[in-house]
Amino acid sequence: MKEKQNISVGIDNVEAADKIAGLAKYTSDIVIEGMLYAKTVRSTIPRGTIREIKIPTLPKGYYTVDATDIPGDNIVGMLRDDWPVFAAHHVNHIGEPIMLIVREDKAIITEIVNKITITYDEAEPTFDFTDSCEQLSFQKGNTKKAFKEAKKIIDYTYETGYQEQTYIEPQGFIGYPENDGVTLIGSIQCPYYVKHAVMQTLGASEDLVRVIQATVGGAFGGKEEFPSLMACQLAVAIHKIARPIKMIYEREEDMEVTTKRHPAKITMSAAIDADNRVMAIKSHVGLDGGAYIGLSKVVLSRGMLASTNAYTIENVTARGDVYRTNTVPNGAFRGFGAPQMIFAIEMFMHHIAKDLNIDPLTFRKAHMVKQGDLTATSGVFRDPVIMNSMLEEVLKQSNYIEKVKQYQHPESNKGIGMSWFLHGFGFTGSGEKDKIKARVRLKKDEQDNVHILIAAVDMGQGPKTTMRKLVANLLDYPIEKVIFNNPDTRYVPDSGPTVASRTMMIVGGLLARATKKLQDQWVAHQEVVTEESYEQPSYVQWDNEAMHGDAYPAYSWGINVCEVEVDRQTYEVRVRNMWNIYDVGKAIDERIVLGQADGGQAQGIGYGYLEVMNHREGKIMQKNMTDYIIPTAADTPPMENTLMDNPYPLGPYGAKGVGELTLVGGAPAVALAIEQAIGKKVHTIPVTPERIMELIDNE
Amino acid sequence: MVENKIPTSYNEALKILATGSYQVLNGGTDLMVRYRGWSETRVKFKKNMLHIHNLDELNYITSKDEYIHIGATTTHETILHHPLIPEIMKKCLRVFASPAIRNMGTLVGNIGNASPAGDAVLIAYLLEARLVVESLRHQREVPIEDFIKGPGSIALAPDEIIKEIYFKKLNFNATYFTKVGGRQSDAISKVMFAAGYRLDADKIVDIRIAIGAVSPTIIKDKTIEKSIKGYTLKNLSNQKSMILSQYAAHINPIDDQRSNKHYRKKVALNLLEAFLNDIITRS
Repeated sequence: MKEKQNISVGIDNVEAADKIAGLAKYTSDIVIEGMLYAKTVRSTIPRGTIREIKIPTLPKGYYTVDATDIPGDNIVGMLRDDWPVFAAHHVNHIGEPIMLIVREDKAIITEIVNKITITYDEAEPTFDFTDSCEQLSFQKGNTKKAFKEAKKIIDYTYETGYQEQTYIEPQGFIGYPENDGVTLIGSIQCPYYVKHAVMQTLGASEDLVRVIQATVGGAFGGKEEFPSLMACQLAVAIHKIARPIKMIYEREEDMEVTTKRHPAKITMSAAIDADNRVMAIKSHVGLDGGAYIGLSKVVLSRGMLASTNAYTIENVTARGDVYRTNTVPNGAFRGFGAPQMIFAIEMFMHHIAKDLNIDPLTFRKAHMVKQGDLTATSGVFRDPVIMNSMLEEVLKQSNYIEKVKQYQHPESNKGIGMSWFLHGFGFTGSGEKDKIKARVRLKKDEQDNVHILIAAVDMGQGPKTTMRKLVANLLDYPIEKVIFNNPDTRYVPDSGPTVASRTMMIVGGLLARATKKLQDQWVAHQEVVTEESYEQPSYVQWDNEAMHGDAYPAYSWGINVCEVEVDRQTYEVRVRNMWNIYDVGKAIDERIVLGQADGGQAQGIGYGYLEVMNHREGKIMQKNMTDYIIPTAADTPPMENTLMDNPYPLGPYGAKGVGELTLVGGAPAVALAIEQAIGKKVHTIPVTPERIMELIDNE
Repeated sequence: MVENKIPTSYNEALKILATGSYQVLNGGTDLMVRYRGWSETRVKFKKNMLHIHNLDELNYITSKDEYIHIGATTTHETILHHPLIPEIMKKCLRVFASPAIRNMGTLVGNIGNASPAGDAVLIAYLLEARLVVESLRHQREVPIEDFIKGPGSIALAPDEIIKEIYFKKLNFNATYFTKVGGRQSDAISKVMFAAGYRLDADKIVDIRIAIGAVSPTIIKDKTIEKSIKGYTLKNLSNQKSMILSQYAAHINPIDDQRSNKHYRKKVALNLLEAFLNDIITRS
């Protein structure tokens, strides 16, 4: 008998060959005979009431679709239902959709869109953090008492900017009428989010809405909730016109009107005792939600839950607000609130140490989480925490301690920075049990092919490969006989959205159980179907109101070390090297996890020092890849990535989550490196050359 | 509907231009982007276009006496790898745009586009390049600083074409080029700086300084350069702050989505000062 191969050994990504050859069918590649095109007419002011819409005389065969055509609710169903499908009377941000123009000929559609004039009664827009519409807070220990007894109190405020997902493939759908209902094919992360939103907007039953995932050219959270808006609009158009219709955003339209990472303002306050230990941390997170709140409250919650990061702090008070502003709505993005908070807490721990005049590394180590410690919400870190050995390894690889000393010299213009971080996986608290209720199905057909029937989307992160590998390995069966097609809600059960780094740990975990069942029930040349649904580990106790208990069943951990050089004449930053180490439990495919690491780190450091996006009076200024600066290969440093083995008992083969973990530590690592290189405290990202110049000049 | 023509010879190109209603497209890395339409629809050119980038007659790099001539359809990538090209131009082209743009775009096209942030335009100023402009009516030569009148504005009649660019070989001790973009590749410059000098013992016998993306056209001031020529290194050291303030008076950048004027001005002056310090400390 051949020895079973270690699951972690990398195999070829099953999607790679078709993608490289240009054979993969993205939404824009799909052509349906007789299809029409749709283009959106958008508001041009940040806030006001629509007074009049003037439409030119229409040539034949062209349609308008707006709020009056909606058979169901004029609301995009998501966590908070405040986002209209079409603006009916009021507009709340520039670029808000008002109607679609639908026709066969693209050139004429553009002409019509340009000729439509809308007059408004303008209202005073809000751009600052004043209109709070979601509030959260939690408490651990007795913060008040700790602050009363503190020897010293240290406060800092940190700010982060927009980040744009910058997937290569813009948002898009094509849809057609089918059996009295609609079918939508699109670039999406969450087939069932789209389906449920469209059902609500059409007022249609489940059997009348079918959603199919096309090949997805990147998403990063940007295709979590936003596609539901487009899908609802297109479904209304198909319902009205009864023809196939395609709607694909152009790059500039996509960057101007789709959701982005929430800009944040985070204030931190620490109570320090006589032994230079942090007795308590008080924090407040303010998020810019944009014009509609959507899922911003959950982003806020994720951010607040990261407020003590990989440190154990006895007393914690965390508060947060989502503020409504007259700007493009912000939403899901890899990390989901954590990148903002991890930037803040990592800088804060470093700044406290500096202010106390003690070595930051020693100071951090004194607060490092150990197995059995309580989380910020008084849950328990139950599984082995191996941060200490990870730290040892990464210190050795990077020669961190020696370099910190060398680069203290102000003339060196070099700096090295380190970030620690953790990330909890799946939906927060009881979300998996109460909201998602994931179901997976395996079907073995009469030819003995095994079909994976789940709603998980491969948007580049690799589940097409890893899920097949997982099932094939468990069955000890050829991977070619395991089939995983793009999810189609007609055939796959709702295994939940492809978000929150939950795919392998949660969906993969269920698949592993369904596979065991299939093995037990296997009869050759007969159809066998097995199903599994999510069961919460009994020890997970979460009080959603008080935000108390185990926010997540398990955590993955990481450390990034980043080395930079800053040019004294141009203030430009060159990232010279990165060393990164992760505990993801067990890699189901090392090559895929390392690919995630390279990408996440590039996106994380890009957030920290390159990626500038801002708005002027509500209008996004960087609308294309020329002006919105993400790192190119030439900007990306050599990256040494190490994976630790620390299997999680409830994950498939011990796997925990990966996707978001590799991004969340990038910004503080690069910002701390820049801080050392320039000898000035950094409180705001991105740390652009313009900002570095100001920091150096403001002696 | 606009017309698109692809001439098979240079002479045919001149004849088409003589109608006075065509604009030259030479590589298209700016014009194709500027006039892009909705995907799968035609480019929205405003004028009739003459696509000349296939004209091999204009694809050349030659050397005659002290001069190097570059034909209009020669791409950046060809120039980058050609043995006759001075190092200062290569320094620039190595970090110019992206590989795809370098393979399609042309130096003459970059000049015709007349962006104040055109990287190769800066080098053309530093080289004190001249352009050969031709039509069926005549041929004329024009120095680059007279040709470029402002952002996107050039001294070219409707029937004229830029046939080639040429410049004298440099004889400098050292040349300098810095491109400050948002990232290391595929970036539009926030500031550009190029310079060169020649010393005879400790006397400056030649010096050139060009600064880009900080004013409507590239800054290159022959009067200031002339005043520096003849300085000893000690003179230069004494006059440094005067020189800096002379250039500072020319630097008038803008705020935009890529940077701000304060940064652009400060960095331009930092680079100029570092260059002057470098000469001074050479001694």
